[in-house]
Amino acid sequence: MDKEQLVERYFENQLSEEEHKILQNYLDTDASFAEEFAFQKNVKQAIALNERAELKQKLQSFESSKSTKRWISKWSVAASIAVVLGIGYWFMSQSPDTNELYDQYYQSYPNVVAPTVRGENKTDLKSQAFYEYDSGNYQKAYELFSQLYAIDKDDYALFYSSLSLIELNKSQEAIALMDQFDLNKDNGFTPYFKWYKALSYLKVGEKEKATKLLQSLSENQNPQQEQAQKLLKELD
Amino acid sequence: MNESSVVIDLLKKNDEKTIRAVYNDNKNGFILFAKRYNLSHDDLIDVYQDAIIALIENAKKGKIDDLKSSVTTYLFGIGKFMIFQKLKKEGKTIAMDDFEKVEIVYDDYSEEETNLQVKLLQNGFKKLGEQCRKVLQLFYYEEKKLDEIQTLLGYTNKDVLKSQKSRCLKQLKELSK
Repeated sequence: MDKEQLVERYFENQLSEEEHKILQNYLDTDASFAEEFAFQKNVKQAIALNERAELKQKLQSFESSKSTKRWISKWSVAASIAVVLGIGYWFMSQSPDTNELYDQYYQSYPNVVAPTVRGENKTDLKSQAFYEYDSGNYQKAYELFSQLYAIDKDDYALFYSSLSLIELNKSQEAIALMDQFDLNKDNGFTPYFKWYKALSYLKVGEKEKATKLLQSLSENQNPQQEQAQKLLKELD
Repeated sequence: MNESSVVIDLLKKNDEKTIRAVYNDNKNGFILFAKRYNLSHDDLIDVYQDAIIALIENAKKGKIDDLKSSVTTYLFGIGKFMIFQKLKKEGKTIAMDDFEKVEIVYDDYSEEETNLQVKLLQNGFKKLGEQCRKVLQLFYYEEKKLDEIQTLLGYTNKDVLKSQKSRCLKQLKELSK
């Protein structure tokens, strides 16, 4: 195989280990070849950087077009609030519907535990459970996560099986399941358990229990602190 | 063909509507998950955008043709990896177990941005003719084999394509002086 072919196969990601060694040997002994090779590697980087810059610009434009929209809608919101105020002040003194608040604050929690990032053909239970969860098959996901939890008692399995129940609108069952997690334990899942438990309490109308959890979330720094404080204010 | 492969196929074609949909559908979920790492909102958006870029790049390279998980899961895997890189660069300590399962194939060229020849090549590339840009882009960026490029661009034989490619490289070298 000549030098040119080696380089070609290098960029095609086709080099065997043996060929890698041969290429390296050429690079070590032939300065002008090494220079040409370095040049092509730079070409590769330059093209990648150009492509990325172009895409980045596009994505940034998504953000800026959104903020103008938000700006406009702020005004329309302000206008409609004025109308509502005019029509009936009494309505404002009513406490907000907990169910409505639930809808407003609830957001599906993403799978952040088992990304099969290399496109490998993983068929173990865990990957399968997350696959179902990601695909929105929450009943199936719930069953698989429950199995996983039974096997190794990992917090993530408990967390995602609870979330699957929430997605299935089984808040009461989700609360019962989340009871198995000791909220005094302090790990990455604790604030999220508190948050989703509080929301589930709201969903079933147990405002006091929800408030208590939200208070503990709003007291010290954690990822859900701000949201908890906001929601608390609305519950007041 | 499952849902993921349809999306991946459209990403390969640079389909704007798909890119926008993937971007918007996953943004809130990503921010919600990533908040725990104490990065500012702007930083999070920045990382999220880079993760989307990596997703599209790897789709074009054919690296995720056999993806078994959803696109969302893959995207979050990349984002997680990038947050890890970022925190490491800033010298922040992080619980490793949070990240140990994350492994992706993506070249971070941030150091090369200060390489002068790369800078010159970036500008030079924009001045190349369209055909040359296509050939080089497919070969070096999308990592397509010469045989595939031959079919894609309709060259009658591989040698014609090869000499075209080396002509393009020469031109690019000239334009980047």
